[in-house]
Amino acid sequence: MLKPTPFHPRTVALCASHAWRRWAGYVVASSYELHHEREYHAIRSSAALIDVSPLYKYAVSGEDAARLLNRIVTRDVERSAIGQVLYTTWCDSDGKVLDDGTIARLDEHALRMTSAEPNLRWLEDNASGLDVRVEDVSDAIAALAVQGPSSRAVIQPLVDCDLSALKYFRITAATIGSVPVTISRTGYTGDLGYELWFDARDALKVWDALMQAGNAYGIVPAGMLALDLARIEAGLMLLDVDYVSARKALRHEQTSSPFELDLAWTVNLKKETFVGRAALAREAENAPAWQFVGVEVEWDALERLYAEARLAPQLPPTAWRMSVPIYAGGEQAGYATSGGWSPLLKKYIALAHVRSRWAAPGTPVEMEITVEHARKRAAARVVKKPFFDPDRKRS
Amino acid sequence: MSTTRAYDAIVIGGGHNGLVCAAYLAGAGKRVLVLERRERLGGAAVTEEVFPGFRFSVFSYVVSLLRPEIIRDLELPRHGLHILPLESTVTPLPNGDYLGQWADHDQNRRELARHSLRDAEAYDGFGRLMHQMARAIKPFLAMTPPDPASLAPRDVAGMLRLASRLRGLDPQHFHALHKLLTMSAADYLDEWFESGPLKATKAASGIIGTFLGPRSPGTAYVLLHHYMGEIDGVFRAWGFAKGGNGSVSGAIAAAAREHGAELRTDAPVARVLVTNARADGVVLENGDEIRAKLVVSGLDPRRTFIDLVGAAHLAPEFVAAIERFKFRGSSGKVNLALSELPKFTALPADGPHLRGAISISPSVEYLERAYDDAKYGQVSRRPYMDIVIPSLIDPAMAPLGKHVMSCFVQYVPYNVQGGWTDAAREAFGDTVIDTLAEYAPNIKSTILHRQVITPADIERIVGLSEGNIFQGELALQQMFFLRPVPGWAKYRTPIRGLYQCGSGTHPGGGVMGASGRNAALTILRANA
Amino acid sequence: MSSHAIVIGDDIDECVAAQYLARNGLSVRLLHDRQAQQPRFLQTGWIAPQIVRDLELSAHGLSIDQRDPWLQIELPGGGRLELTRDIARSAEEIGKVNRHDGARWAAFCERMHALATLLQAMYAAPPPEPLASTFAGRFDLARLALRVRGLGRQGMTDLFRVLPMSIVDLLDEWFESDALKGALGTMGVMHLCQGPRSGGTALNFLHHHAGCPPGVFRQPLSNVHGVLRALPGPSMLEGRALRVIVEGGTVEGVQLATGEEIHASVVLSGAHPQHALLDVVDAAWLDPELVRAVRRIRSRGVTAEVTLALDRDPGFTTLTIAPSLDYMEHAYDDAKYGRMSREPFIEARYAGTAEGGEHPVHVHVQYAPYAVQDGTWDAERAQALGRTVLDAIAAAAPGIVSSLVDHTVRTPQALEREFGYPEGQPYHAELALDQFLWMRPVPDLARYRTPIRGYYLCGPAMHPGAGVPGAAGMHAAHTVLRDLRTRK
Repeated sequence: MLKPTPFHPRTVALCASHAWRRWAGYVVASSYELHHEREYHAIRSSAALIDVSPLYKYAVSGEDAARLLNRIVTRDVERSAIGQVLYTTWCDSDGKVLDDGTIARLDEHALRMTSAEPNLRWLEDNASGLDVRVEDVSDAIAALAVQGPSSRAVIQPLVDCDLSALKYFRITAATIGSVPVTISRTGYTGDLGYELWFDARDALKVWDALMQAGNAYGIVPAGMLALDLARIEAGLMLLDVDYVSARKALRHEQTSSPFELDLAWTVNLKKETFVGRAALAREAENAPAWQFVGVEVEWDALERLYAEARLAPQLPPTAWRMSVPIYAGGEQAGYATSGGWSPLLKKYIALAHVRSRWAAPGTPVEMEITVEHARKRAAARVVKKPFFDPDRKRS
Repeated sequence: MSTTRAYDAIVIGGGHNGLVCAAYLAGAGKRVLVLERRERLGGAAVTEEVFPGFRFSVFSYVVSLLRPEIIRDLELPRHGLHILPLESTVTPLPNGDYLGQWADHDQNRRELARHSLRDAEAYDGFGRLMHQMARAIKPFLAMTPPDPASLAPRDVAGMLRLASRLRGLDPQHFHALHKLLTMSAADYLDEWFESGPLKATKAASGIIGTFLGPRSPGTAYVLLHHYMGEIDGVFRAWGFAKGGNGSVSGAIAAAAREHGAELRTDAPVARVLVTNARADGVVLENGDEIRAKLVVSGLDPRRTFIDLVGAAHLAPEFVAAIERFKFRGSSGKVNLALSELPKFTALPADGPHLRGAISISPSVEYLERAYDDAKYGQVSRRPYMDIVIPSLIDPAMAPLGKHVMSCFVQYVPYNVQGGWTDAAREAFGDTVIDTLAEYAPNIKSTILHRQVITPADIERIVGLSEGNIFQGELALQQMFFLRPVPGWAKYRTPIRGLYQCGSGTHPGGGVMGASGRNAALTILRANA
Repeated sequence: MSSHAIVIGDDIDECVAAQYLARNGLSVRLLHDRQAQQPRFLQTGWIAPQIVRDLELSAHGLSIDQRDPWLQIELPGGGRLELTRDIARSAEEIGKVNRHDGARWAAFCERMHALATLLQAMYAAPPPEPLASTFAGRFDLARLALRVRGLGRQGMTDLFRVLPMSIVDLLDEWFESDALKGALGTMGVMHLCQGPRSGGTALNFLHHHAGCPPGVFRQPLSNVHGVLRALPGPSMLEGRALRVIVEGGTVEGVQLATGEEIHASVVLSGAHPQHALLDVVDAAWLDPELVRAVRRIRSRGVTAEVTLALDRDPGFTTLTIAPSLDYMEHAYDDAKYGRMSREPFIEARYAGTAEGGEHPVHVHVQYAPYAVQDGTWDAERAQALGRTVLDAIAAAAPGIVSSLVDHTVRTPQALEREFGYPEGQPYHAELALDQFLWMRPVPDLARYRTPIRGYYLCGPAMHPGAGVPGAAGMHAAHTVLRDLRTRK
């Protein structure tokens, strides 16, 4: 009874692992091959094709379209240029994050918002007195991410525009075959990459064109496991995994402000009003109580803990998503929410919430790991995010 | 042998609350005797083989509100209680479509989005708020209500504790609780949803057991009351007891017996013996006198005080207050033995929808019109129904391949015009079948037998006054320290040595067992 | 101090607020919209004595007409029941209809009055704050708790039991006579989109008893609006507020429909919060949860008004047609599904000769739902409503037919148009337990303040609002004055 994505006829044929997972009510491949490793490496070394259709997508149009989004999100949408894409959070009136996503300004009065959770009601309820139309286009629009160093080379021959002119976080209209698509230079991998948006009815045509064009470059369809690892390396957070939406929190302590998620740069207090502004302005005057940081486990410490158990170090085979205590100075300093072994960096990394006093890069901390059924603390330190940040991402 | 063996306590009525109370008392070492008028224990929580091979939870038919602490304290699973999940609610619609509410979040969201994208989104928030409200109210359920008019230190302290607990709520929750206590289910749901069938199906739980329409203030609370069901720590989880609801009382009875309580059936009590304004035993209808240090009544307030104690022993104001207590039974039951499964036009295949509840509640207006009929003394021409097919969940309920179907029906007024004659009962049965046939046209040809139960039948068979399934309406003016009578809401009565433990006391009905437990704890505190 | 204040609207609450502000040294402008607002002939409702005293209304010609007899009904078997403020005499009258009821009248009056007195005390102050954390707030709460305790066991029991009850349940506990219960029950559904069997209607009944003498269950009439308007102090300004100007979260003034901007550091609006916040303020200043809550305020108009012009005295001062509670329930059944009641509840009042020598009779008609199913309140429906009312009155007081010169019908939509009642609901927010005290009109607005500094609400949607004209205006003005003092 789960929904298939528009690419399902292709993905089902390719999914040798039969490993599927849920994403926003859709069923998507965890990995296509029996192991996700090659899919991950494609993202970092050639090109990967990722079905990201389950994202929620809203078409916001009308005279006041930008004004509506400006009322809601923390960044300044009204001053964004046509063709620009903004990554932003949006908050409740207590300044706690409800969701995060992108806003693409397709035109003066036409914008597209993506989000992890449904936001139609929130958009509509904030539209009081505005001339604006909000349409849920989640099912109508299919989305494919082409990510990796060769992604530009794969797409370029298929389109008539010059992709090297398309800057980071910009969007352009193009045609693939006869299918009109919009291409945004965005992604969830922290690598060079593009996302393509088009009518779901044309889904298979675009998939086939990309797979064919990518063949020579070693394009590989990648599933969620590979993507998860890549986004951790890129230091990108995930709703429900790394933070709890204020909409779902059962108590205030579970919520986070953008400051606490290391997203102060998305909060534009120069805007006169937006939901949560007053609370965020107050918070901006003080340091946030929490910070969202990168943590790197020290290899020697890890090796030592396993050596004590007379074992070689065992590394997590996939990215994990759970709450893992972080200690510092003899107390619990916070908790990591996702982590894993980076095959590229050869490091055990994690994303963690820590109290601000422990948040400075270089701070020594400990992360709990379980060695032979026993809980141990491995020495680690706070490091700058992203863990992996190649020049090609922006250039 | 007639009289003498002395008991510490006699519990009148072997319904689930009486049994819970007896089990707790016996567990504390008291010598307890339970007297049940019928030939079987359980009160309204019974399973009977009404037709050969077909077993029915004749009256109450689902479990959810049964307090988890009772399940734990009395070790009911060890005594045979096994609750099977009831996962979905499907509302068939007159246009041939349906609305499903499923246990799986994604499946549910997708189904709701088919009717309204906004509602699909609002649903989680609504569920979360109701969950939080149920959590906020939970401590009050196990509380002996303090008397606001009393100056006794215990009551004053109780009121202060109550006030500080309420004041301790998050303002949003405080206001939401205020709204739930005072609004109509329809208005409350209008604040959240736009889809008619969704609002109606939710609103339906706000009218159960009341004589109010979904647009009348007070019904939002009943809606919340039905969210207080908690299975394994999860609120709003409904289940079906394997073997029917008789196995709920069966398990409690087994626990009581194990603790040494004596349970006697076919033992109707004629009156409570009152000597010097103190209850010290009972007289059975056969004339036997049984003495005990105290008497606990699991019957409703009217039967307890008017019938068994007698107005002569009570102050006139108290009698007046008991007479004012409102019952107004508004629901009936139709139990069907089926040769095969019904085919609903909206979902003709056999499928998971038949394993959950099927709700006949296509719109709030439908429910409101059903109420209109009832308020002028008619059975709703098109009633609200909550239907389950227990044999799909527990095949032992019916002969192999055959099925039992339970239809809870509202509104069926106790005070029906012309009175409850046999003809009126059959006409009510026909109304139910005709209504069902509008959604499942094959139903008529599948019926092997039918049992029709009116509020008058509930009163006659189980003894619930006016057939009210909650032993008294669950209205704000009959709740907490007002249930059943202001000043006497603490399970005590004006007669020393006489206690109440039925759902006519706080926190009320729904096979919760909380009244029985609270009463037992009160008694044990007072008679340690 | 020369704070400038603008009060939007010139109904009773706005006038009262303007008076209090002006008397405390503010320069006040009362913005009135000639198109929407017309002075009413007479106003119904309890005028809090505090206002009468503070504004010296008696010296300025206030006359309060507490009708006596307050109830006159034709009995089905012939004969008439007349109730007066003399409880013993009324009991005797009722006793003639039903002995049992007559015997209970005095006790009923006493018990109801005790509850109404409590309400009265609560209306004389801003709503209690159950979650108050300040010392003053907790002190007020404690005082209220003591006052409730002061009711004694009987009174407290009544309070907790009666408030959520339906008026049918309440009256059934006391009386047997359909005629008496019907006539009393009308106050339970007054201006409410509920039938007498709905929970909370007993509260509405008590609410309309507050301020009345014991034994009287009809609110007085007065000329308070005219008196207030004639008082000096605020300067009058004609125009419609198009927009409330806000800068950095603080009110700056009002922009008129003409485009003119008037600056002020304090703005009060007597309009329905939906208008005062959602129509004239940029919603960007408001928390979306508040916007949602304001949108949900229930204001379903259910009344129409008919005015009869007679050429002679009708022979009654008041005439009620509500023969039983079931009659009223049936009337509501129609309205529930968006139809005018086929047999509405009617209350006619004659207040003496008008200026032109005419004898106007004002008729309250319920239920006339604002939102009628399939269609609108067109001329045809209005005419039909008029006929229904005339026929009903003619049946009860046949003499009236030959004296009728003319009649006018005001449908709920006309009430909205002419008097600015949103959805034709003069109480703005329906009086129900969930829109009462600290919940009125929504929790975040209950203290007369809005999220915009310097912008206040003072209309009937505010506590105690409906039926207690001027009190919300007074409380709002006091709030403004307190804020001005602490802001310095």
